[in-house]
Amino acid sequence: MSTAQTANTTDAQTDPPADQTLLRIKNFCSWYGDYQALHDLTLDIPRRQVTAFIGPSGCGKSTLLKWINRMNDIVPGARAKGHLSLISDSDNASKKELDILDQSVDVVALRRQIGIVFQKPNPFPKSIYDNVAFGPRLHMRTTKAELDELVEWSLQKAAVWDEVKDRLHGPALGLSGGQQQRLCIARAIAVGPEVLLMDEPCSALDPASTLAIEDLIFELRSQYTIVIVTHNMQQASRCSDRTAFFFEGRLVEAGDTTQVFTKPEKKQTDDYVRGKFG
Amino acid sequence: MSTMPSALTSQDPKYLTNNAIRRKRLSSWFYGLCVAIAFVSVLILVVLLAAIWAQGQSRLTVDLLTRAHSELEIERSGMWPSIIGSLIVCFVCAMAALPLGIATAVFLEEFKPTSKPLRLIHGFIQLNIANLAGVPSIVYGLLGLTVFVYMFNVFGQIKVNESPGLEIMGADHYYQVMTLQPGHVVFVPQEDASVREIEITEPIEAVDNSGNRFELAVWKPGTPRPKDEATKRQTIEEGAIGGTITRRSWYYFRLPLDKSFLSGGFTLALVILPIIIIASQESLRAVSPSLREASMGIGATTWQTVRHVCLPAAIPGIMTGSILAMGRAIGEAAPILVVLGATVMKGGGPEHLMDNAITMPVLIFNWAGRQQNEFQELAAAAIIVLLVVLLILNSTAIIIRQKVQKAHN
Repeated sequence: MSTAQTANTTDAQTDPPADQTLLRIKNFCSWYGDYQALHDLTLDIPRRQVTAFIGPSGCGKSTLLKWINRMNDIVPGARAKGHLSLISDSDNASKKELDILDQSVDVVALRRQIGIVFQKPNPFPKSIYDNVAFGPRLHMRTTKAELDELVEWSLQKAAVWDEVKDRLHGPALGLSGGQQQRLCIARAIAVGPEVLLMDEPCSALDPASTLAIEDLIFELRSQYTIVIVTHNMQQASRCSDRTAFFFEGRLVEAGDTTQVFTKPEKKQTDDYVRGKFG
Repeated sequence: MSTMPSALTSQDPKYLTNNAIRRKRLSSWFYGLCVAIAFVSVLILVVLLAAIWAQGQSRLTVDLLTRAHSELEIERSGMWPSIIGSLIVCFVCAMAALPLGIATAVFLEEFKPTSKPLRLIHGFIQLNIANLAGVPSIVYGLLGLTVFVYMFNVFGQIKVNESPGLEIMGADHYYQVMTLQPGHVVFVPQEDASVREIEITEPIEAVDNSGNRFELAVWKPGTPRPKDEATKRQTIEEGAIGGTITRRSWYYFRLPLDKSFLSGGFTLALVILPIIIIASQESLRAVSPSLREASMGIGATTWQTVRHVCLPAAIPGIMTGSILAMGRAIGEAAPILVVLGATVMKGGGPEHLMDNAITMPVLIFNWAGRQQNEFQELAAAAIIVLLVVLLILNSTAIIIRQKVQKAHN
């Protein structure tokens, strides 16, 4: 399946083919206590592409991201209504659609399928090796050699192996911010997720580290579906295939990144991407 | 452009107080005051220690550390049983309070319930723990007396030479009988604990002091009396009376706990439980939420997150709180006085689980209240020993904590 289309080569195409949809969001609303954070969202997220959520602070983009792997479960008073499902095996005739919001969903298994990388690099105060091995140790029983292999593979995938291979058992907190963030990405992919959610992964990093992460995102999308929340519009335009613009808890516009940035349909989107507000 | 406020632009001298010198002087005065106050509190401590040292240093002898309290040889009285007693009571206290306290803190901080009734219970427990920390320790002593020493009398009352309560293990009951060899006793195993005395008329199975079993022969008056010592040691006069005697193994256990060191340790555990819970909660709360998110985000369960992320990060703080709490426990006299009594007549440490113990604060309390000058000096010397033991325990714990911290980072 060749879905690795880059932002520059795709035609203006608003909806991805239905069979490529991985996450289906329909009439989705969410609340924190009495405050409604998201209003009636409908959005499909395609498989093995990078989807960027953009919008001003407090527009609900992070909230939606955290519903996708149910991280909002640990937020007191958070609740949601509507439809949010994960469609696995689109190649297969028997597509399985998993209702993410269902109370009976095994969130442990769900979060293994849908990994998340946070805004601030948050490695555990353990060694680099133990950070990456943390997830695999929770979920599977491996031999030492298999675990070593998995750790190396994950660190290589996250483009940080060369920098840390000589100090795998040194403290993770001794790494630079950008290295820590790539370590967190390695930690997330070490459990074999299908989807990577990234909540402003570069906002705490310097420009060089940001570039490294963006390159990494570009690499990873051939294997993973990536959803990235960002404040940085250049970042969205540089590394995403599709862009969804949120404003005050509503989805204003979603579409191909080139189209959203060059020929937006809504005036609000146009104002935002041109930097008139936000 | 709006004009600037007149306070900033005006050259009028009324705005220029130029009090920089006065403000700086005030600041340095306040600095001096704080240093002086800090010195006063240290000075009080130093004076106290010096006074105790002056009074007690002549009694800091080997006898003090190795001998027991003695009414006959006051000057050779020692505190060995109380050192052992204090350490054992503290050990029991730590074993009881640490798991309970840390588990409660984990429940309160990490397993916050979502349903309404559970949230109410959660809030209720939280409120109570904050209140319990302020309850005077003698109140815990009375609680310990009811709950551990008597256990509400549900297992029967313990009475000397009558009822031992509900014995669970480690007790062997015998009848003790005199043999024909003067001064030699043998033991006949007891079958029915309610029979307090037996009269022996028939040969019967018996045990001697070293545990050998043999058939106890009966000598009828009027028949020839055995002559050799070995036979006399295994023979009794017909109709000899045997009274109950109990042999207790170290694991002797019964309910209620009565005035045992276990009761003392558990009562002290109640005293320090709120302190440990609050300290553990504080240090769990200090663990960055981003670490919890990271762990949950990879699909760890709440327990896995607690076990592998929160507890390791919180352990140094939990240990600090626990060290402080143990320091308080080892110095508590009031609850121990209520639970174990003010007895100081004991030759050594506890011999079995249900044995009494004396602790250092109780011994000091007893000695300090005596008329004799020797006891006053001994009390001062015992205080020095107590402080040294505390210091050793605390520094060991701090060293362990730093090792743990280093291993963790």
